Amino acid sequence: MTLRFLSGGLTGGRLVMLALLLASAILVPLLNLALPESHPLHVPTYAVTLMGKYLTYALLALALDLVWGYCGILSLGHAAFFALGGYAMGMYLMRQIGSRGVYGDPVLPDFMVFLNWDELPWYWYGFDAFSFAMLVALVAPAILAFVFGWFAFRSRVTGVYLSIITQAMTYALLLAFFRNDMGFGGNNGLTDFKDILGFDIQSDATRAGLFAASALALAAGLVLAVAITASKLGKVLIAVRDAESRTRFLGYRVEHYKLFVWTVSAMMAGLAGALYVPQVGIINPGEFAPANSIEAVIWVAVGGRGTLVGPIIGAVLVNFAKSWFTAALPEFWLFALGGLFVFVTLFLPTGIVGLARTATQRLRRMRKSEPDARNTGGSVTTEPRGQAAE
Amino acid sequence: MLTRTRRRSSALGALAVFLVLAVATVTFAGTAAAQSDDAALRTQLNALAAGDFDDTQRQINAIAEAGDPRAAPALEALADGDLYFRRADNAVFITRKDGSDYALRDPLTLEDAGTAGRREVKKIRVNNRLRRVIRTALGTLTLRAPDPAARIEAADAIFKAQDVDSIEPLEAALAAETNTDVARHMREARAAAVLASDLPTPDKLEAIATVAARGDRDARSLLTGISNGPDTALHEAANAAIAKVERVQGLWDTARNIWFGLSLGSVLLLAAIGLAITFGVMGVINMAHGEMVMLGAYTTFVVQSLFRTAAPEYFDYSLIVALPAAFLVAGLVGIAIERGIIRFLHDRPLETLLATWGVSLILQQTVRTIFGPTNREVGNPSFMSGAMEIGQLTITYNRLWIVVFALVVFTALLVAMKATRFGLYVRAVTQNRRMSASMGIRTPLVDALTFGLGSGIAGIAGVALSQIDNVSPNLGQSYIIDSFMVVVFGGVGNLWGTLLGAFTLGIANKFLEPVAGAVLAKILVLVFIILFIQKRPRGLFALKGRAVDA
Amino acid sequence: MAKAETLLYLDGVSVSFDGFKALNNLSFLIGRNEMRAIIGPNGAGKTTMMDVITGKTRPDEGELRFDGKIDLTAHDEAEIAGFGIGRKFQKPTVFENQSVRDNLMLALKALRGPFATLFHRDDDAERSRIDTLLATIRLTARRDDLAGDLSHGQKQWLEIGMLLAQDPELLLIDEPAAGMTDAETAATADLLREISKTHSVVVVEHDMAFVRALGVKVTVLHEGSVLAEGSLDHVSNDRRVIDVYLGR
Repeated sequence: MTLRFLSGGLTGGRLVMLALLLASAILVPLLNLALPESHPLHVPTYAVTLMGKYLTYALLALALDLVWGYCGILSLGHAAFFALGGYAMGMYLMRQIGSRGVYGDPVLPDFMVFLNWDELPWYWYGFDAFSFAMLVALVAPAILAFVFGWFAFRSRVTGVYLSIITQAMTYALLLAFFRNDMGFGGNNGLTDFKDILGFDIQSDATRAGLFAASALALAAGLVLAVAITASKLGKVLIAVRDAESRTRFLGYRVEHYKLFVWTVSAMMAGLAGALYVPQVGIINPGEFAPANSIEAVIWVAVGGRGTLVGPIIGAVLVNFAKSWFTAALPEFWLFALGGLFVFVTLFLPTGIVGLARTATQRLRRMRKSEPDARNTGGSVTTEPRGQAAE
Repeated sequence: MLTRTRRRSSALGALAVFLVLAVATVTFAGTAAAQSDDAALRTQLNALAAGDFDDTQRQINAIAEAGDPRAAPALEALADGDLYFRRADNAVFITRKDGSDYALRDPLTLEDAGTAGRREVKKIRVNNRLRRVIRTALGTLTLRAPDPAARIEAADAIFKAQDVDSIEPLEAALAAETNTDVARHMREARAAAVLASDLPTPDKLEAIATVAARGDRDARSLLTGISNGPDTALHEAANAAIAKVERVQGLWDTARNIWFGLSLGSVLLLAAIGLAITFGVMGVINMAHGEMVMLGAYTTFVVQSLFRTAAPEYFDYSLIVALPAAFLVAGLVGIAIERGIIRFLHDRPLETLLATWGVSLILQQTVRTIFGPTNREVGNPSFMSGAMEIGQLTITYNRLWIVVFALVVFTALLVAMKATRFGLYVRAVTQNRRMSASMGIRTPLVDALTFGLGSGIAGIAGVALSQIDNVSPNLGQSYIIDSFMVVVFGGVGNLWGTLLGAFTLGIANKFLEPVAGAVLAKILVLVFIILFIQKRPRGLFALKGRAVDA
Repeated sequence: MAKAETLLYLDGVSVSFDGFKALNNLSFLIGRNEMRAIIGPNGAGKTTMMDVITGKTRPDEGELRFDGKIDLTAHDEAEIAGFGIGRKFQKPTVFENQSVRDNLMLALKALRGPFATLFHRDDDAERSRIDTLLATIRLTARRDDLAGDLSHGQKQWLEIGMLLAQDPELLLIDEPAAGMTDAETAATADLLREISKTHSVVVVEHDMAFVRALGVKVTVLHEGSVLAEGSLDHVSNDRRVIDVYLGR
């Protein structure tokens, strides 16, 4: 079924990216676990975890690209979906600690004992089961996205207004999760995890496994995104992005399309958050910060929005740079990031992938036009144009 | 039951003493030196050193009897165990340990009296009974203080402590009191003490009426204390009085919420008003708007630092210099951003949003690099310190000034936009750029100046906000979301909408706070705005017509 | 008049923006398979009239019925499009980043829900329908080019093609001849006459030569209401029309 959609969209760079992800899901754990540390090809565990973290960021970026690149919805609130997924996973991991916490309570997480709570709040029920927690990691962001989107898209809040209220949404959640009586660990969040599915969360094998899971999740996300964007629905989304009211006059319920892609995107972000938390070992309200959402937007912009592969490249590149800067020149990181925002919007509006596409197409045209010099058609770029026209 | 009551009253007593002493120290430090030494008082103080606890108690009571308020610091030191006498001449000093020696101060003038070795002086010993006696004595002394405010504080301290022993000194002080305001406080204090005493019911009923007339939170908690006593007559009277107090308090609470709401609203207005120009009028999303506010606050810090080093005596005028400086700094940075970035992103609002966010990161980090990541101390000039009382409402001058200032800035901006040629150009360019250009308006210049104006006003807001908020590189971040909410809620392109939006949100927030708590109130307001925008996507005052969504 | 023959019915429709009356008690009828030209000076309310019919703007008062029973004021743009009213904008609006073929494919009459489009597959019937449309609007050679690369006139045609792809009962066409060469204008008039054999068409146009080429009944709008109605010759001799519009 899926393969049928893919025939149109899974070409070139996307195929390469998919192959790369699948290969790394196998190779990286192998190079980490099977080779001795002295071997030149050995991948140290910290690097595996770091790359695993980048891949979850890449999944978040891919989710953003689906709404921003293809439907023109610039979300400054995707951190909310990411963090909700993360909290669902965090709650599962907290329940796995059992009586190994500081206070040794068999059921209650440490922070609840500390707050003198007598019993588990009802919304913590079921999180001892991994499958339930994973379900919530997908469903909770989906519900938030659906409710928020249902109101916003139906009343035709668009453009920067939508961006601003998505930011307000994640900000409100940030404040809410800071509250101790929300029952999510307040300021400190959830941490001190011990194991996941019975495996020690600190062990090399678990870390390698989480990396492989992240790579596979990202690959699945890419396939899903390709399937959506290559379908007729994907063409409607682009139509909405480029000429919303025209699409409406063709008889499409624009709000339904936005709601669909918005909710799917939120679920992808939730999954990314759920994979992120066990690898970094903590989830706290800071993940809801509006600044996080905006930072994710720049990953998409750097890689090239509306390209699906671009955001993955962008997320990995920018975060690699961030890791390097914060270790080597910590005080310069914000200068670099700020400069990147300015540079990309001014000089690289189509991102790295867009630039590469334009370059290859120009090259191809030059070759083609040698025998046929008259063939000088219009623009060949496929990047979004005239977005602001709406 | 008995012990618990006693413990509570002693805790309250301690509080009362603290307040009394605080006032006493402040009041006397200035005047004591000016007055000539009173030999009699000095003799009385020196006599504290002689004899056993009973003798000391007699001396304390004698001092209280004499009623000279200048004795207060010595008594205070006695209670704290800091009063020593010199073995050589039995002279009494207030001491402070200084290495292995003691630094001496004269007990009356509080002037430095040299140091003494450990063996040369001896501490005047006190026990708990004596401390209680001292407390009462101090209460009596301050009831006669020359400053009416000090007398009121003393009376209020007795009111809170319900100190039965103070009834007599209070009556004596009342007889001599000429200031009606002070007398009222003293009567209330006496009534409170009467309620704690074992005087007959009619006296207490009268006292309840006096306390109820006071009508504040303290009166209420005091009345609650007797509302479940054994005496039914008192019981009913107290309940009736509580109901009355609560009614009065309800009104004051509302007034307080409105005032706090106006205060918060004016802060929001200041933060948002520049945005109303750049976003509302020009349609440019400036995510670095908060950083313009921050730059204004840091400009204030720099100006104040210069004043502190160059002309500390003119410190009160520092804000007057800081205002134009902040306007210039933020305005010039704004113009640079407009010329350097925003003009290239014309009609691409989402890209503008991202680029200006990048600018905000750079500005934050620049300030962090220059001034450090910690809060910077910005002082209040004297006219902005202090507070005034209207009934039960305390209005601090810095908040009052900010409300006034916000309204002045708003009015000035309104006039600039409606009544000047520049304002006309701005409106022309924002409504029809091409037409304006063809009529000879230099649209790039107007764009740059408008953006500079909006940024400069944000800088001015920073001067005001530096008076009530921490000046740190993150200052702007805490205002940016609120500012956008205000502008969007009020309606883009309408300054009046911004005004109404700011005050509505401010007051709504403050009315929700007592019910829901500060954080939840903020969340509720955010959720409300999110829902409101769904209902009216263009805010309270929306422009209508075909042109709007073209 | 037989009501069954009336496709679009406007009675006493008024719209105002901040006190400015864009439509003022506007009433007229369009019959089934009728073509009507609407002319009028700038600000006469032509575009607002289209906005009202297609659900973009809600009238303050008045009755708007389509096909006898449907109350258009109670529906939004997408629903109204679903009833069979297609619209071409004054400024040609096509999906610039998608191919000519995809533009037509998106417009083709089909289920409009997200899940229907997600699982949509093109079939032979659809392909041949698109081929026919491409031939009609003379864009067969450009089928795989991006719509954004078309000339202005070609975009106008593509938009008309998209309108046809919807297979609506009523077509609202705003200034189809703007920016076209004389030859293109003539061809457009031919195309519209052809379309009107099986559809109702409302054309808003400034170009009098084009209106004459259409050869249909003309309604003159002025300040939001109907000033005159009849053949082009009839209205161009009307004193009031000459005063406000033709202005000789």
